[in-house]
Amino acid sequence: MKKIIEYIRRKLSVRVSLWVVFFAAIIFHVALGFLFIQAREAVCKEAFNHATQILDKTSLRIEGILNRVEVASNMTKWLVERHPDKADSMFVYSQGMLQNNPDFYNCSIAFEPYYFKDKGRYFSAYTKYVGDSIRTIQGGSDNYQYFYMDWYLMPSLLGHPCWTEPYFDYDVATNTNEMVTSYCQAIKDKQGKMIGVINTSLSITWLSQTISAIKPYPHSYSIMVGRGGTFFVHPDTAKITRQTIFTQTLEHPDTAIIALGHAMQHGEEGMKQMKMGQEDCYVFYKPLGNSGCSMAIVCPESDIFSGFDHLRRIVISIVAFGLLLMLYTFIRIITRELTPLQHLAEEAEVIASGKLDAELPDLQRIDEIGQLSHSFGNMQQSLVKYIEELKDTTAQKASIESDLRIANSIQMGMLPDKFPTKAERDDVQLYASLTPAKEVGGDLFDFYFRDEKLFFCIGDVSGKGVPASLFMAVTRSAFRTVSAHESQPDRIVTVMNQTIADMNKNHMFVTLFVGVLDLPTGRLHYSNAGHDAPLLVGPDVSELPCDANIPIGFRPKWKYSLQEVQIFTGTTILLFTDGLSEAMDATKAQFQMKRVNEVASQALSQGKQEPKQLIEQMTDAVRQFVGDAEQSDDLTMMAIQYINNKQQ
Amino acid sequence: MYKRILYIFTAILLCCCMIQTTAAQERQQVGGRDAGMGDDTSDTLVFTPQWTAQAQFAGYYVAEVKGFFREAGVKVKIEHPTATQSAMSRLRNNQCQATTLQLCQAMEIVDNGIPLVNILQTSMNNAMVIVSARGKDPLTQKGDKVGIWSVGFGQLAICMSNKEHLDYQWVRFAQNTNLFVAGALDATLAMSYNEFYQLVQAGIVLTEKNVYRFREHGYNVQEDGVYMPRDYYENHRDQAKKFAQACRKGWEWAVQHPDETLDIVMEYVERNRIATNRVMQRLMLLEVLRLQVDRESKKREFRLRPDMVRLASRLMVENQMLSREVKYEELVSDR
Repeated sequence: MKKIIEYIRRKLSVRVSLWVVFFAAIIFHVALGFLFIQAREAVCKEAFNHATQILDKTSLRIEGILNRVEVASNMTKWLVERHPDKADSMFVYSQGMLQNNPDFYNCSIAFEPYYFKDKGRYFSAYTKYVGDSIRTIQGGSDNYQYFYMDWYLMPSLLGHPCWTEPYFDYDVATNTNEMVTSYCQAIKDKQGKMIGVINTSLSITWLSQTISAIKPYPHSYSIMVGRGGTFFVHPDTAKITRQTIFTQTLEHPDTAIIALGHAMQHGEEGMKQMKMGQEDCYVFYKPLGNSGCSMAIVCPESDIFSGFDHLRRIVISIVAFGLLLMLYTFIRIITRELTPLQHLAEEAEVIASGKLDAELPDLQRIDEIGQLSHSFGNMQQSLVKYIEELKDTTAQKASIESDLRIANSIQMGMLPDKFPTKAERDDVQLYASLTPAKEVGGDLFDFYFRDEKLFFCIGDVSGKGVPASLFMAVTRSAFRTVSAHESQPDRIVTVMNQTIADMNKNHMFVTLFVGVLDLPTGRLHYSNAGHDAPLLVGPDVSELPCDANIPIGFRPKWKYSLQEVQIFTGTTILLFTDGLSEAMDATKAQFQMKRVNEVASQALSQGKQEPKQLIEQMTDAVRQFVGDAEQSDDLTMMAIQYINNKQQ
Repeated sequence: MYKRILYIFTAILLCCCMIQTTAAQERQQVGGRDAGMGDDTSDTLVFTPQWTAQAQFAGYYVAEVKGFFREAGVKVKIEHPTATQSAMSRLRNNQCQATTLQLCQAMEIVDNGIPLVNILQTSMNNAMVIVSARGKDPLTQKGDKVGIWSVGFGQLAICMSNKEHLDYQWVRFAQNTNLFVAGALDATLAMSYNEFYQLVQAGIVLTEKNVYRFREHGYNVQEDGVYMPRDYYENHRDQAKKFAQACRKGWEWAVQHPDETLDIVMEYVERNRIATNRVMQRLMLLEVLRLQVDRESKKREFRLRPDMVRLASRLMVENQMLSREVKYEELVSDR
């Protein structure tokens, strides 16, 4: 199952086909379901009409015969009541009845006990066909006390003529049974008192045979029940007169059969759907005239709907086969339609592997797949062109990077990379570092010794990159040139400003701090052109007071102020650019002067205020703060520790 | 030529003998199961149940089929009444020597001057009920038309009707429940083992409300018992005793083997072409067996109870059905 699902997930053609077939199946299901329901109802209605016609026809036929019996009985009654005192006439009337109606079974004209004084207790003029001849006898005896019989009692008890429940009439002479039903009506005298009963019997053997023969469907059958539900017609002859429609419900209650039985007993007409035995059946029932009997046609559902079911099975088979064929066809068609895409995908894989000149399939199509192929071809051409351009650009970039590396090397070469050791100089220790944000930077620092003085500077050119690096080189050269003749920092800065400002057509500027430390005395003269104020580390951490001056490069005639301060032995002057205080972490938070002071104080308390130690500790603190964030600005630091052996 | 004729004659004679033997065997199988009875009927006791073949007489059929009569050393032939000959008619004409009767019937016959002996009492309870139409309480149907058997059985119902001043219009009928089912009667008498189930089978809804059971209202008088004319009994005491013991054994076997008993009953039903069915006979058998259990001792006592004889006699004398009191001693074998 998992493999099948995986296969379906991989195959667009199968997936799309399944969806199409699925929706087609739903539509078929709804449409055919509606059609089948309608057709089934129509078949059911047709069966109902068919059964009703048979029932009506049978009922009408029986009613015709019953009416004939009733009319004949009425005529005889009229004759009897005209001459109720002539016992022998009764034999004539009884015989006449059968002579005129040879299809009647028998006729009795029975009287109340001792009605005819001379005839004794019993008098019943009984006529019956025996073969082709008519036999008329006196029917009552001690062994056959007719006035206790149903046919005699019913008309007086009910108060109207009636038909008896069918019964088997046993003929002792011939030892034969005949199923009959009797129409009986009371004979009354002129005072309206009942004096006897006329009983006219009709054999219903022909009726039971007629009903048994009714088979509207191959496995259908007919039943006939009396008022008490007794079977008088049933395909199982063992049930006839022995069982009622309710018998089986005594041991296995079945409300459907009980309801059918009551409906038939009550002379209702209709149809019921129920299980007869193990089979679902439709039972159509109707009373048979005034006989008190009711007949039913039991039609197995499988028979009624056999044609319909056959048709339904064929239609369902066709639809099922059609859906499978549709599924197969769709898969094939979609697979065929998607094959160019498959080739396109394969070629894309080749192109992706680097073979940009791979040949795309030539699709002579104007549909979406054709457009996609065309677009893909255009994309391939654009990609080839782009890759070519990228190659050129990459080569150019590599060249520029090479130039920049050289420029960096040159720039770094301008800066002092050798610092005096304790062996070389015992009066001052010095260390500096410059880390550019790009290949080349705009920061600068410089120092040298002349006349027992330390000349030093630190600066920061506006902007970054190559322009700033060129401006830095100019500034550094200007510092070296001017400081070679001037010893006062303010003069050095002023002259540098005039020089740089005159050739500054790009309106760049540089912040600059220039200091001259008199090594024998520890007196520091300095001039600050807009640069961050250095820190004095030892014996505590403090900021070197600086006048507010503008950076150099703006105004050629600006007069920069000179300041001086006494540096005590062991004190370290920490100079830095704004790359230190404005170093940013990933959240763009700045390192700030507060942290610079804290790191400096920490280094001082740990006795690590020597230039190199101080700068390394400060560098570590900044790196830890910045983390993985990209360096935002050039970072330059220079530390100078003054040591005066005399002061010690 | 003569030899050939002699051979043919001998062959024909042999064939006739074989056919005769086969026919005799068949007659024996159909007519009576007491093997060894042969054609000698002089000491054969003919027993006629009071009605056509049904589970009401199951014990006697069992005794015949299972050979209890033969084991007891009595030759018995069961012959049912016909449409033209009732059980009593056969008894009067000496066509049978024993029959089943209800206690009230037997008392009427004794009162009419025909001494009878109860050699076995099977019923210990009364089975008669009144079933009312349309769900009515029979005790509220004053003056209504109520069906009653034309052959008797309804003595207690008449006594009750008189006592309760119901003044039922009794309609005597010879056949079954058709009149009631057709709506010609307002109520009908029925036996709880027979007509009661026929009515149920005819789709009539019977409840406690529309069924009046006589045994629940002070009329619990025993019914079926096996009776013999006293003169015959006096001359055949040993035969009567053995017959009664075999009958009792048949009933006791039926209690133990109801399904097999039902098979035997249906065999008799089929043979006599009775319009009934197995379901009805099963219900009848179970009810008849229930009625054989005495309500007080909870046992099958197979005896006539003097108190019930006194009750029946008193009721029937009060209602002029008996001209005198028929005593228990008149009905039992040992006076």
